[in-house]
Amino acid sequence: MESTENISDEYHVASFVAYPILEQLDTVKKAILTVEGTEIHAVSEEGKIVFTIEGNSYRDIGSKMDIIRVHKGIINLSPVYHQILDESEKAPDEPSIDAVNVGIN
Amino acid sequence: MTINRREFIKANAIAAAAAVAGVSVPAMASNLITSSDITKLKWDKAPCRFCGTGCSVNVGVMDGKVVATHGDIKSPVNKGLNCVKGYFLSKIMYGKDRLTQPLLRMSNGKYDKQGEFTPISWDQAFDVMAEKAKTTLTENGPEAVGMFGSGQWTVQEGYAAVKLMKAGFRTNNIDPNARHCMASAVGGFMRTFGIDEPMGCYDDLEAADAFVLWGSNMAEMHPILWTRLTDRRLSAPHVKVAILSTFEHRSFDLADNGMVFTPQTDLAILNYIANYIIQTDRVNTEFVNKHTNFRLGETDIGYGLRPEHPLEQVAKNNGKTAGSSTPISFNEYAKFVSTYTAEYTAKLSGVPEHKLKALAELYADPKVKVTSFWTMGFNQHTRGVWANNLVYNIHLLTGKISTPGNSPFSLTGQPSACGTAREVGTFSHRLPADMVVTNPKHRATAEKIWGLPEGTVPPKPGYHAALQNRMLKDGKLNFYWVQCNNNMQAAANINEEVYPGYRNPKNFVVVSDPYPTVTAQAADLILPTAMWVEKEGVYGNAERRTQSWYQMVESPEGAKSDLWQLVEFSKRLKVEDVWPEELIAKKAGVRGKTLFDVLYKDSAVGKFSLDEIPEDRLNDDARDFGFYIQKGLFEEYATFGRGHAHDLAPYDTYHKERGLRWPVVDGKETQWRFKEGSDPYAKKGSNWDFYGNKDGRANIFALPYEPPAESPDEEYDLWLSTGRVLEHWHSGSMTQRVPELYKSMPDALVYMHPDDAKKRGMRRGDLVKLISRRGEVQTRVETRGRNKPPKGLVYMPWFDASRLVNKVTLDATDPLSKQTDYKKCAIKIEKV
Repeated sequence: MESTENISDEYHVASFVAYPILEQLDTVKKAILTVEGTEIHAVSEEGKIVFTIEGNSYRDIGSKMDIIRVHKGIINLSPVYHQILDESEKAPDEPSIDAVNVGIN
Repeated sequence: MTINRREFIKANAIAAAAAVAGVSVPAMASNLITSSDITKLKWDKAPCRFCGTGCSVNVGVMDGKVVATHGDIKSPVNKGLNCVKGYFLSKIMYGKDRLTQPLLRMSNGKYDKQGEFTPISWDQAFDVMAEKAKTTLTENGPEAVGMFGSGQWTVQEGYAAVKLMKAGFRTNNIDPNARHCMASAVGGFMRTFGIDEPMGCYDDLEAADAFVLWGSNMAEMHPILWTRLTDRRLSAPHVKVAILSTFEHRSFDLADNGMVFTPQTDLAILNYIANYIIQTDRVNTEFVNKHTNFRLGETDIGYGLRPEHPLEQVAKNNGKTAGSSTPISFNEYAKFVSTYTAEYTAKLSGVPEHKLKALAELYADPKVKVTSFWTMGFNQHTRGVWANNLVYNIHLLTGKISTPGNSPFSLTGQPSACGTAREVGTFSHRLPADMVVTNPKHRATAEKIWGLPEGTVPPKPGYHAALQNRMLKDGKLNFYWVQCNNNMQAAANINEEVYPGYRNPKNFVVVSDPYPTVTAQAADLILPTAMWVEKEGVYGNAERRTQSWYQMVESPEGAKSDLWQLVEFSKRLKVEDVWPEELIAKKAGVRGKTLFDVLYKDSAVGKFSLDEIPEDRLNDDARDFGFYIQKGLFEEYATFGRGHAHDLAPYDTYHKERGLRWPVVDGKETQWRFKEGSDPYAKKGSNWDFYGNKDGRANIFALPYEPPAESPDEEYDLWLSTGRVLEHWHSGSMTQRVPELYKSMPDALVYMHPDDAKKRGMRRGDLVKLISRRGEVQTRVETRGRNKPPKGLVYMPWFDASRLVNKVTLDATDPLSKQTDYKKCAIKIEKV
């Protein structure tokens, strides 16, 4: 069951919604941000945290997600979106043609 | 604005998550949605391959391969969300050991039961299957032919299989693996309401004031529904969550009232709540008088074990009358439940009185809208049908049913346990649309729709799941085909009652699977199978939502869908091979034809042409058979339910919708059944109409607590409960092949109380043996982790093919539903 993924030329970004125990919102936010490659983008009125994880492989993102997922203050963690950029053929600073229609309209 | 590619895709990721969370993010992030025509990815919708929630996912295809999936924001079920399994969904088809050739056990170029698996062609595979099937029919008749199918079959596959077995082979020995997960729920629905499947829907999640989880760990097993429940709980502070289980699990994190009870005593707690409602004078008398009947059920019904088992020898009513009942009055019912006092129930269950009272009050308070959820804790129970009946009692006594937020809701574990196993009727006693083989009128209806002579469908129920394994072992079931399940891992008591049957020299066992599962490895012939979006299909989820998808990618060369396998194989059998002369004589024009002609091509199944498939769509199965077989099967099947409260929309509609909840009448789906104004079948002026029963009333059953089949004793001193985990889906045959999921949860551990470990000289991580009267399995001890069993009980999941916990479980079943109880048996644990 070993992964054969080539991790050198890939950029991965994944977004999540975390549902914390409200009283622990600040603790959870801090815990998320201690994981490398994370960024919090919004927190809803109900305390739902929208954040991203960046990394260089599925496995990398998966491991970081696991660290956050088991946090005691998180009732639920929902992965929403994941995209991979193969940067072995990259054309910097151009609008991406790999970008994805996520179906929001 | 120029931004680089990384920023661009990150912005998309943020926008998607923000939409799901219902928050706004700065414009730069939210307005960067490109149109699909400038991307390399082609997106399309499909229901998720895993659980019964029925999330819709967007599937991204590039260069003929699924490379991405994400939650479908347009889906009313998951509203853009994914769970961790759904997140890695695109990877399930690309495991390194994917099967692409039929494999037959052979020695010296010939089939040999003791031989090695050898690659052969599909032609050779069907040759040997046809030969074995014909020999079995000649020597032992149709009752020696059987099939074990799946709640993961598409609706069309299940329907094609039912036709092949019940009409083609004329055997009712077809059962789905849904027997292991849903049969008690079906039994409960049929007994209380006379019609199957939940009256409510997922919209109850946003309407309820209280949720009660009975033997359901939704946080891990139904994460998307759990997210919606969490959302409701956090956004409406008055909402309460009560959770009952035999051990503490992740869902308890959200519980206002978490209760750990002694196994089997849920029956007593359910009766206590009914008693509390009556004692505190909170019965909804008007509702009860107009819409319910009271019945006293038969007791001492045994444990569904082999007849010679000592427990069956002493059971008084384990025969055909086990499911019978007699009418009683409300007063008699009230007297019956009056013995379940708080004091008695607390003592029996181990749940403190004040917790029981708080739970009962949620149901009793007329102002609180209550939704009850349950899954395997109720269903995998030697009194599973009773448990289902008893929870309906509570909702019926209070009239908390079929209105938004008031919902007794049986959740499902497989993507089409409802759609395929239940609605199509792939059970050994069933026909489509809740009909049964024992009813001559139902058989006649099926024969008419199928255009087959009277007497084609046999009247005797066939072997159910546990009985199939026993009959294989006993040499009475000799030609056996397993599709789309992993029963060598999933069935209880593997050593004594499962493996011996597969390896019995009298039997020929065929297993169809995408991967070499333990079941496939125990077979004589393995058929490589196409999966999920490698074919077109329809699934039906737990809230009666029917969803379709198109084929999106080619299967690996050599792998074929279950549908193709069933229908292609039917070409190898002539009517004369399977039917007696008197039946052939009744129907002009069938003589000399194949089962393919009679069951599929020349019936209503064959009437839709390939022109109806959009040109840019893949559909290998239809193009191979020469007609739009998925549409034909669906439309013929839908004939059974239309006008009978199971109405489905026209097939093409489902390709456009994110699913519709049946009955679909005049193009409109039904959210709450049995309620006038919401359900078109509820009669005018009825207010509530439980039309599944002739008198329009639901049944409230008086049923007692009865002990489990096996309890801990001096030697086998621990309860064992088995179950699932978040990261893996059921037996792990797909999710264990996703590296990230495997890494996240590689092995099944035994979760135990630290004191229990200490008492046995064990520490976290120690290698131990779980031993029952039937077998043993080795694993490692986990004393922390997400599951916290009470003293005296251990929990071990069953997803791990390298540690088969079902070697120790007991094959006791509910005598009514024939569903196995995987939640209770007695074991001991020793250090290795």
